[in-house]
Amino acid sequence: MQILGKSIADLQALIGSRKIKVKEVQQYFLKRVRKYNPTLNAFLTVQDQDEMSPINGVLAGIPFAVKDNFCTKGIRTTASSCVLDQFIPPYESTVTMRLLSAGATILGKTNMDAWAHGSSTETSDYGPTKNPWDLTRSPGGSSGGSAAAVSAYLTPAAIGSETAGSIRQPAAWTGVVGLKPSYGRVSRYGVIAMGSSFDCPGPLTLTVKDAAILLGVIAGKDPFDGTSSNIPTADYKTMLKAKKFLTIGIAKEYMEGMEESLKLKIEESLRIFQKLGHRIKTVSLLSPKYAISVYTIIQRAEVSSNLARYDGIRYGNDRTFFAAEAKRRTMLGAYTLSFGYYDAYYKKAQKVRTLIVEDFKRAFKDVDVIVAASTPISALKLGEFAKYPFFGELMDVLNEPAAIAGIPAISVPCGQDKNGLPVGLQIMGNYFDEATILNLAFQFEKETEFFGVIKKGIARYQD
Amino acid sequence: MKLRYNLFMTNRSLLSRKDILHLAKLANLSLTNKEIEEYLDQLEDTLSYIDNLKELDTANLLPAARSSNEGNIFFKDGIENGRALTLNETLQNAKKTKDGLFQIPQILNDK
Repeated sequence: MQILGKSIADLQALIGSRKIKVKEVQQYFLKRVRKYNPTLNAFLTVQDQDEMSPINGVLAGIPFAVKDNFCTKGIRTTASSCVLDQFIPPYESTVTMRLLSAGATILGKTNMDAWAHGSSTETSDYGPTKNPWDLTRSPGGSSGGSAAAVSAYLTPAAIGSETAGSIRQPAAWTGVVGLKPSYGRVSRYGVIAMGSSFDCPGPLTLTVKDAAILLGVIAGKDPFDGTSSNIPTADYKTMLKAKKFLTIGIAKEYMEGMEESLKLKIEESLRIFQKLGHRIKTVSLLSPKYAISVYTIIQRAEVSSNLARYDGIRYGNDRTFFAAEAKRRTMLGAYTLSFGYYDAYYKKAQKVRTLIVEDFKRAFKDVDVIVAASTPISALKLGEFAKYPFFGELMDVLNEPAAIAGIPAISVPCGQDKNGLPVGLQIMGNYFDEATILNLAFQFEKETEFFGVIKKGIARYQD
Repeated sequence: MKLRYNLFMTNRSLLSRKDILHLAKLANLSLTNKEIEEYLDQLEDTLSYIDNLKELDTANLLPAARSSNEGNIFFKDGIENGRALTLNETLQNAKKTKDGLFQIPQILNDK
């Protein structure tokens, strides 16, 4: 039985009809991880399981990878920082708990920027992850290990987390599907806290249907996370089937400064949406350059508070183990929260956040979704980020507004740029309307098969 | 590569070496001399960039601490909340423990 390239939905069908054994699936992916991880450095910890999980539930026997900032009971969890080098969580995050309860098994923990600080996976204390499309390039980040693992099919799907772009940007750079749900849609319980008012767990997958399946499992109210929402979840998978005709907003503010060959792909995608019967409407949005500032201020402030707990007493190593990026962010946060600067920076940023929220609410009165590129340029060479301390934020410029507003967004492959690298298209939706962005992404996938990007990514990594 | 935003609108008077040392103290971080110089430059670059928020009029806006509109959530504290750890679980990652307690560095002088 050929497993290479099979989606979660495919594997569910094969396991369900007993055409393939769960053990075979597990061994298959472990073998691929052993073969390709030394090259890609996508996994930090691999779980070789002797005992199979109970084969019940909607994800029975499906292996998945999880970013190393999700606490996994009994499995080392480092957030890619030496501060947590030997940390063994005594409890399970809600996201991994829900996946395990659905019958899925943890294949391993994936590399990331240390503490999720970054957009390239190069700030990991365990070395950078390589982009499976070009080993001299970054996979993006911070969920770079998760994205690379899916792109090279070391796992059929992975869980990542996004504070601002950390799912969508690596998904775009490695040519896979990445879904950032609304803030509050998926519980943050057991996710190592970074920017607490932004943090959103979400799936990275080969297909839109798989993203819908995983969201269906992990979404919903969690009594352990006070910010998780009471708004009911939807049957995301079933809702893919309805052929919705939508009004798609595009904002010129999001098209400025983009690399030309990426812009062409986005324009081509817009023509495909029109061909499918959707209406394109121009909307005006606040320039995303302000979102960078809002994000930088609020996120650094939250980081300085969240990283204060690492004192090396209850767990982990002491603060001398922090690397440069964490130090920079913590100090900037301390600065903007300081007496005398609080109003000028932190409070001002919180007010502009209100402006961004209102800006999106106004736009969603006229349109159902907003479409833009996921990134202004495609995957950069390893080493480029280190030249500019602030560079990651610029790479996430098109992701930060949605993160600040807390709306959902999905990145899907929409072709290749002039260098043959994957290009990502993102669809942003209204609050808690994941069903609509998944629906449109699914229509796009059916029409284009993502221009063969997913298949080409996997084809480089034969069994 | 083209980037639309000017990274280097530098304003070299925002921070002093003393500020960096103060911030490091607040954050309980120890820095080398090289780090102090580096962070001074880098934090100034960042502060210069985020200054663009001054271009926006926010006089009539309320600050948003978060994007969601959920109210306050309360629950009873205690073992029934399901999150409680056993003593062993609580201590399993600590480097130093004694009699079921965390051992912390001495903070008061003997004298």
